[in-house]
Amino acid sequence: MIATADNDAWTDLARKTLDRFAEPLLRDVAARLVKPRTPISAEEQIDRLLGVLSNPPVLDRRIKELPDASRKALALMGVSRRPVWKVGHLITSLAAIGHSEGFTPILKLLESGLAFPELPAGTAPITDFEPWLGLAGTLHAKIFTLPTVAARARGEDLNLPALPSEPLEDATGRVSDGLDWPLRIAVIWQLIAESPARLTQANSLFKRDLTRLQATENLAGADDPQPVPDQGVLAFFWAQAAGLVVEGDNEWIAGPFPATWNQTLTPALSDLWAGLASLEAWDPLTGYAPSDGGLSPTPTAGLLSLLLLTSRGVHPHGNSNWYNPQILADWLWEHHPSWSGAISQAAASNRGRDWVIAYFLSVAYPLRLVEVAQQDGWKFRLSDLGRHLLENAPEPAPAAAFPQTLLVQPNAEILAYRQGLTPGLIARLSRFAQWKGIGPACTLELTPTRTYAGLETGLTLAGILQTLNQHGMKPVPVPVADLVRRWADKRDRITAFASATLVEFQTTADLEIALARGVVSVRVTDRIGLTDDGRDPDFANLRLVGNRDYEAKPQRCIQVDHDGVTLLVDSSQSDLLMEAEIGKIADPVVAETPGTRKFLVTPTSLRRAIAAGLGLADLDTWFVTRTGQPLPPAGRLFVLGPTLPPPSVERFLVVQMPSEEVTDGILQWPDTADLITDRLGPKSLVVDDENLPRLIAVLADLGITLPHGERGTMVSEPLPG
Amino acid sequence: MNQPTARLPAKLHRRVCLVLTEDAVLAEELLARKKLASEVAGRLADRALLIRPGKIDVVLEELRKMGHTPQVVGKA
Repeated sequence: MIATADNDAWTDLARKTLDRFAEPLLRDVAARLVKPRTPISAEEQIDRLLGVLSNPPVLDRRIKELPDASRKALALMGVSRRPVWKVGHLITSLAAIGHSEGFTPILKLLESGLAFPELPAGTAPITDFEPWLGLAGTLHAKIFTLPTVAARARGEDLNLPALPSEPLEDATGRVSDGLDWPLRIAVIWQLIAESPARLTQANSLFKRDLTRLQATENLAGADDPQPVPDQGVLAFFWAQAAGLVVEGDNEWIAGPFPATWNQTLTPALSDLWAGLASLEAWDPLTGYAPSDGGLSPTPTAGLLSLLLLTSRGVHPHGNSNWYNPQILADWLWEHHPSWSGAISQAAASNRGRDWVIAYFLSVAYPLRLVEVAQQDGWKFRLSDLGRHLLENAPEPAPAAAFPQTLLVQPNAEILAYRQGLTPGLIARLSRFAQWKGIGPACTLELTPTRTYAGLETGLTLAGILQTLNQHGMKPVPVPVADLVRRWADKRDRITAFASATLVEFQTTADLEIALARGVVSVRVTDRIGLTDDGRDPDFANLRLVGNRDYEAKPQRCIQVDHDGVTLLVDSSQSDLLMEAEIGKIADPVVAETPGTRKFLVTPTSLRRAIAAGLGLADLDTWFVTRTGQPLPPAGRLFVLGPTLPPPSVERFLVVQMPSEEVTDGILQWPDTADLITDRLGPKSLVVDDENLPRLIAVLADLGITLPHGERGTMVSEPLPG
Repeated sequence: MNQPTARLPAKLHRRVCLVLTEDAVLAEELLARKKLASEVAGRLADRALLIRPGKIDVVLEELRKMGHTPQVVGKA
């Protein structure tokens, strides 16, 4: 996800999008934006287009040339600080402020080159914007502009009415410290870091994740005028919109904290403000509200209700310019195309006043966008930050810094006083300490799991202790520092390489040379080493004699000798897995030829393999993979022999016939077939003693003389053939 | 004997899943854990366990269940 204020990244995206415009469309857009005096080549068009977008005087002219509604659409994107918007939300907002031209202003904006369609990867080149809009899903299609373009349009008059405001005589307004939502989002960030969440294809939560987000405790802020429904769910989607929760492999994982969190409070809150324009799955009164395919009114109604507070040149002073939420709700009721139909019946009974109050108290007030007061009900006006974001007023001066704001206690708990908390410190603490409470005095706990998680994200033990000491009112107690040190040391006890390159040398001496030269730095065996990060070594020092990828299929690297039990290893093709596996199946033997590796399959070695859990099928699979044939018969004898019923020993009278044909005939002719007990082979028949005389007689009738002698004696005369 | 700057003949084994322990006793402790041992293809050395391809996540989960906090290098 691109950071909302990263103009370079958005410019890159614009370039990639323009690359997917068909040439005639690109030429048309360039003609409108660049207005070249001479024809420009196709290659130049994109550069010239983007050049105009970074040229403020020309940009201002182009913005002025836009139709009124298109200019206001750009202004809405500017004031929201969010460069990408759903087309449907823009159309809804424009309709609310008196422009019901539907898609036309959006199309004009795209044709002007001041905004771009969001094109998913793999989209075919677009030839025109209307068909794209249809294919992309009209209302849910998205367009984006560059932050610098939107900023130039921010001052555009949106023609919002000057609603009546009132002074407050008997009440004092209050403003929040702005930390509640950054803290809530940090708590949810930790939850997702421990266990990622998954979303359905419709971008709604699965029940398991919904339940744990709804059940998350310790989200109560310092000053909650009223409970926030499903605040854990809101924090999750808000973290997603602000880029703290990012898409992983089929799941949503904790991402790095944005760079804006390391600045003053205003940039971090501006980022969160930008995220609001895309928060659809939440309603201020009912909580989690996944869409059934339509557009949620929350982002647009929320933005418009705040824009209604803008004073349009009349700056609030003292106790003036307070707005009654009923007046704001009445305007929304009459002007917002879908909000009145989407809110609950209970909320509709007062034309949505409770919705407006809930939105301001749940979102706008904790985000420090509005001040609140109570006199005959709730009253609201923009805060200094709200005026900065919505009226282009100067950025509020940063609050006085109280860097020493932590108290690390002997039981490894940390008290964090809010007056010294900054988004940067919140982000850093989140990486290595577990949030327990985020009320007026926040509490965290140092735990092995979080210490380990912090080290995994690149923090060091020294860095963790430095943070605690730098921001602590007192030094970290020695027992706590020792505890954290012990947890950190545990991490060095086991190192797991997920995908390392091992370098196998031919001799131990070569490995020593490689270590001395720094080619590898970790000794694994007497001939194998690796670099400390597990990556490929510097090949300048190596002559590669083999290369094996362990994610590829295992290779044949063994030849079975004719005896069926001797295995000859081809060292150039073998791999470490084979080295580990063959020892379970066969025993090494000394080879006659130096450099050759031989193993012997024996009854003992296969008994060992079976005791280790390998079955005949496993052995067959291994042999097929490594030798190209299943376990040889000799090996099968070792495995199967003991498992079969015992063989029997019997004496037979065997008649050996001269040919297979004659034998077949004897077995077929009924006169002789009944005299035969069994056939042992192609020419060998078993005959019972009592049948032999009859067989001799029958064969004699055929002219076949069957010589016979005493039992157990050979008859030497050949039989007539 | 190799010249000081001569290239060393070597075979590369790429994309290997490997667990290195602090000492041999710890490696024995890991191998005594049945579920973990079933994912170990072999023992390259006293402190080096070769893990079956694609099984590193299972091994990491099992190590954490055992209370260990392994340093993971080169996440996929």
